[in-house]
Order: sequence, then C-alpha cells, then structure tokens
Amino acid sequence: MFDYVRLEVRRTLRDTGFVIGGVAMPVMMYLLFTNLGTDDGSWRTASMVGMAAYGAVGSALNTGGGVAEDKAVGWLRQLRITPMLPREVVLGRALTGAVTVLPAIGAVLAAGGLVNGVRLDVWQWAAIALLLWLGSLPFTLLGLGTGYRLTAQATGVVNMLCNLGLSVLGGLWFPVALFPGWLRSLSSFTPTNRFAELGTAVADGHAPALAAVLVLAAWLLVFGSYAVVSYRRAAQTV
Amino acid sequence: MKHMTRMTYMTHMTQPTATRARDPEIPAAAPAVTFTGVVKRFGDVTAVDGVGLEIAHGETVALLGRNGAGKSTTVSLLLGLDEPDTGRVALFGNAPENSVRRGLVGAMLQEARPVPRITVGELVTFVAGRYPAPMPVERALDLAGVTELADRRVDRLSGGQAQRVRFAVALAGDPALVVLDEPTAALDVEARHAFWQAMRAYARRGHTVLFSTHYLEEADAHADRIVIIDRGRIVAEGTGEELRQAACGSLVSFDVTATGTEGLTRLPGVVSLEVRGNRVRLRTEDSDATVLALAERDAIRGLQVSPASLDDAFLALTGSAAPEVR
Repeated sequence: MFDYVRLEVRRTLRDTGFVIGGVAMPVMMYLLFTNLGTDDGSWRTASMVGMAAYGAVGSALNTGGGVAEDKAVGWLRQLRITPMLPREVVLGRALTGAVTVLPAIGAVLAAGGLVNGVRLDVWQWAAIALLLWLGSLPFTLLGLGTGYRLTAQATGVVNMLCNLGLSVLGGLWFPVALFPGWLRSLSSFTPTNRFAELGTAVADGHAPALAAVLVLAAWLLVFGSYAVVSYRRAAQTV
Repeated sequence: MKHMTRMTYMTHMTQPTATRARDPEIPAAAPAVTFTGVVKRFGDVTAVDGVGLEIAHGETVALLGRNGAGKSTTVSLLLGLDEPDTGRVALFGNAPENSVRRGLVGAMLQEARPVPRITVGELVTFVAGRYPAPMPVERALDLAGVTELADRRVDRLSGGQAQRVRFAVALAGDPALVVLDEPTAALDVEARHAFWQAMRAYARRGHTVLFSTHYLEEADAHADRIVIIDRGRIVAEGTGEELRQAACGSLVSFDVTATGTEGLTRLPGVVSLEVRGNRVRLRTEDSDATVLALAERDAIRGLQVSPASLDDAFLALTGSAAPEVR
C-alpha cells in the first residue's frame, strides 16, 4: 500500500491543475489579499491560516477528482484484478489525500513567514501545520465520496462549488467579522470555519475551543458516512 | 442448436507443459477455469445465458463471437468483476476473487484507457509489485515489446503502444492465467503480429491464456481451442478444423435462373439459402444430392461446389452474419 500511496502522490504532483489551483492559487491570493489596502498585522496572520486552510481544502477535495478520473479510465477496475484488496485502495487514496494537502499548507505558511513577516513561536508554527493537516481529513472524505459517486466531470464541478462555497462561507477568504450577524452564525456551523479556527486559535496563543473540535468532528462523521455509502455503491461498478 | 463439437482437450493436459513447478499453491486437479450453468442478466437483457465451460492448465482458448455476443460479460464474470445471477464460476477451483487475491490472474481489460501522469516503467513496476512472484519488470517490458517506452508517459502513447503496455501490465505478475479481452482491437498489422508472438511465447511457458476476439482468423491461428459464443450461449467449441467440419459440408453456388429461388431450401441436403447479387448460395450437408436435384430443375448455371470456410462454419453455427474477417 505504501507503493500505491507513493504512486498516487507522484501522479497528483504531476498534475499541473493541482499545482496551480491547489498550491499556487492560495499563495497568490494570500499575498494579494494581505498586501492591498490596510497593512494590518493580525489580518496577515489570520489570512495566512485561512488561505492555508483554503489550499488544504482544495487539495483534499482534489483527491476525489483523482478517484473519479481513475474510475473513468478503468484504473480502479484494473486494480481490482491485482492482488490488492479493495480496502487497501480506498485507504491508500485517503492517505494520498493526507500527503497532498501538505504542499498547500507549507507554501502558504512559508509565504506568511518569509514574505509577510508573520512572527510566531516555533510551537505555534508546528501546531498550526499539524492541526491544519489533521483537520483536512473531513474534506478528503467529502472529495472521496463525490469522486466515487459521480463522473469525473461532475466531480470537478461539485468539488469546485464545495471548495468556493465552503471557503467563502467559512470565512477563509474574508474575515467573518465583515459578515452580517445571521451569516456569521451560519458560518460558525461550517466545517471550513471551524477548520481554520483550529489554526487561528493557536496563532492567538491558546488551544482551539471545544465547540470547534465538536463541529468539525460532526462533519467528519457526516462526510465519512457519505464516503462509505458512495464507495459501497460504486464498488461493484468500477 | 445444429452442431455441437465437444472437443476433448485431454491432449493438452497430458502435455508436459502443464503447470509450473514453482506454483505449489495451485491445485493441480482443478481446471484453470470452470463455468457451470452461468447466467447473467442486465435488466431485460440476458448477456450470458447458461454458459458451461472448462479450460485446462496450459491451454490457450479463444472466445469468439460478434460484438455484443456476451464475450466481455463472460470475461467480467471470470475475473470476479461481476457476479453471476445463477451458476458458478471458479478459477483454479476457487472463487475468482480468491484466485485474484492470490495473484494467479492477470488481465487486459477492453475498455481501459491509459492511466494519466505515470510512466510505462512506473506502471508495470507497480503492478508487478502487487504479485507474490512477479517476473522481472525488464522481462515483462521486453515480452510486450515496450522496453524502449519505459520512460514515456502512458497517456502520451499511440493507441497501439498503449495496448502493448496493457499487455505488459497483464503479464507483469507472471500469473498462471492471463485473460485478454479483445487484445488486438487497436493494433495495426505489424503490431498485431508482434503481439501474438509475445502471447504465444507466454503461453508456451505453461501459462493458461484466454482471449476474446471477433476475428475468426486470430482465433484459428492462435488458440488451441475455439469457443464460439452467440447471444450469451456457447454454440460450439473445438479446433478450427473441427468447427469447419462440424459446420456442415459445403457450399453450392450458381447463377439465378428463370425458375427463381422458389423451393430451393426444400432440396435434399440444403441447410440454408442466401442470394448475393445474381448468385444463389446453398449451404448443404450433402452436396451430391443437392447438385443432382438442381440438375433436375435445370437450374445449373455457373455451378461451383466448395468446402465450407471457417466463416461459413461460424455462419452456420450462429445462424447469423459472420463476424468481421480481416
């Protein structure tokens, strides 16, 4: 299975669309959004976490795009007639997602530290990276669920809508403080908002609130079930 | 159905090639492939309709039929990608999934497109690594004739090259049974020739090979035994020669005369009638009797009597148009 993860990571990193959309875009948007207009130090840090989260969400969803593509070209079917077990393939794909979210997180944090002069303690950098990495799991499962369920084209569209919708609504692009009250309370129930909160809490020097962990855990359950149901339905037809 | 040749393939089993010594886990007693009364329906369509089939170790068998005859469904059932509605499929005496997990099976699927963003070498190495006792990757590449493509990306190859890569993928694990679904569909003449050479080299090492095709000549030239499938049923099996004989003796053809074609099918020996242009073609089991009866009708103009070809055999056995012939 290690071989499989390595192979799929390699294939993902060779995808120009992934490198531009999943890694370069969040970095560019981060630098743009934080260097136009006000020069606010706290926004540079908050946006760094937000954009790293946005990049991680996009990369995690992209795993589902990969599955849909593999389904379409018959690669999943070919794997079924090798000695590999079906669960090894699914698990391998999820682990691939866990690896391919790292470039986006690393790149945006690096841009924050090196270009925008964000200053945090070493433990904060490490904790933010770790929490964003772990917190991306629900989104990988969401992507897998869609990828197993829909065609490659439909998966691309759904992933993009999920990515943009959840990112904007969750306050990854713009501070939630700018939202009207009702939208702010809606936002606090989105997985993306709570995902970013894991990082912003650490940047503020304290542990994430229990509510954030609970909301994210609930979404983990929802997206996990979605992935399992989609996979079961697709397993016989790939 | 008209003619059934049940060829005994004991001859193949007694040949010294049988199973390879280093596969002790293969139960020597069980045939490589067994289908028992297998039925598979998709909605109202019965794709496979009561297929019984046995393939011995070391045999090379062609599954011949027109497009839509049930070949691909049969292959899917054989590989465990689909489950039969009724009946049983076994590979080496076990459920297909089981034999697949043990690395006894390699396959080249028909509808597969190239895997994106991966090189030929990476792909074959990866697949070989899944099997318990693969052949060296260089050997798989060499057998399939893709050694010089090892560093090229699979999604940037020509159709024929991609097809050969898929063959390398099927062989990479050195499986005891190789299943090839329409393996030469995208190949030009030269590539096809090279492909069959590689396939025969692999089969000669004691491997069991099943390939599906809708080309009679390929089945005749490269298989020990041909299994003809039509409308989901096996209508005949045997060597090309046996099928030719079984499919009824000869073809009597002559120019259409003033008496017309009325009543010709009732002449002695006649099995079927076909009119092509101004020629009447009668398939007959007794050409002498047929010709004599024609002479009585004074219907003989430009008479020709010829033995049935494999095409004709196929036609007679499936009772419909012959598959493409190249």
